[in-house]
Amino acid sequence: MSVRFLSLPARIVWNALFWTYDRATWQYDLMVVAILAFVWLTPPEWLSDPMASGPGLIGYFAQWIR
Amino acid sequence: MTVTGAIGAIFLFPLRLIIDAAVALRIHPNVLTFVGVLINAAAAWALALGRFMLAGVIMTIANVFDFIDGKVAQELKAVSRFGGFWDSVIDRFSDISLFIGLIYLYSRLGRTGYVIVAALAMMFSIMTSYTRARAESLIPKCKVGFMERPERIVLFMIGAFTNRMAAVLWVILVLSIVTVADRIFYTWRELNSAEPEPIA
Repeated sequence: MSVRFLSLPARIVWNALFWTYDRATWQYDLMVVAILAFVWLTPPEWLSDPMASGPGLIGYFAQWIR
Repeated sequence: MTVTGAIGAIFLFPLRLIIDAAVALRIHPNVLTFVGVLINAAAAWALALGRFMLAGVIMTIANVFDFIDGKVAQELKAVSRFGGFWDSVIDRFSDISLFIGLIYLYSRLGRTGYVIVAALAMMFSIMTSYTRARAESLIPKCKVGFMERPERIVLFMIGAFTNRMAAVLWVILVLSIVTVADRIFYTWRELNSAEPEPIA
């Protein structure tokens, strides 16, 4: 399906949702980075994680700024 | 080469040695598949006890078996249609057992919210495989969507080794929902574009 009529941000969202890229492409790498950033940077308490402890990297930064 | 491509190449080296050993011992690939699910059941037990690091180690071993069975089948010239079917069925048992381990853990901790999250993630993970299998009975190929089994397995291991299982479950849930929707939409589009135009 042609998405050329969409603006660039809309095209990025469209291509991320209707994913057709193979593994070991730069788009795949970018998605992996985004996922790992969410997993490792989000403070566990924001997700009410029953098992994890510690504030996570974003939590450390938030504490440091305060 | 991309970063994920390089990581794959690095891990392929020790796996190559294990594949060679399995081929030399002439271990039937269907046996490797079955051993994989048994080890995954042990990983599920470790998850259920909340012993994530141990679960991560066991999952790593189980997934070696998961990965090498197809390669060993090729090298032993033992590729069969039943082998493909067996592998797919056993993979579903492996997936479900890991989720059941987490569901047990969260229910034991009294965390109903995460019981639901894990159950939904399990449902959409199974539907990810089902939609593709069913679609490919109607159209030639339906390999769209990000969250396939290898991604799920690697995420499970990352969640276990770094004790970030809740975040991993959310990622699996959201991206599995998107993948299932993507496959339904793709199949609908392919089937509609393949149908002949009505004659005016």
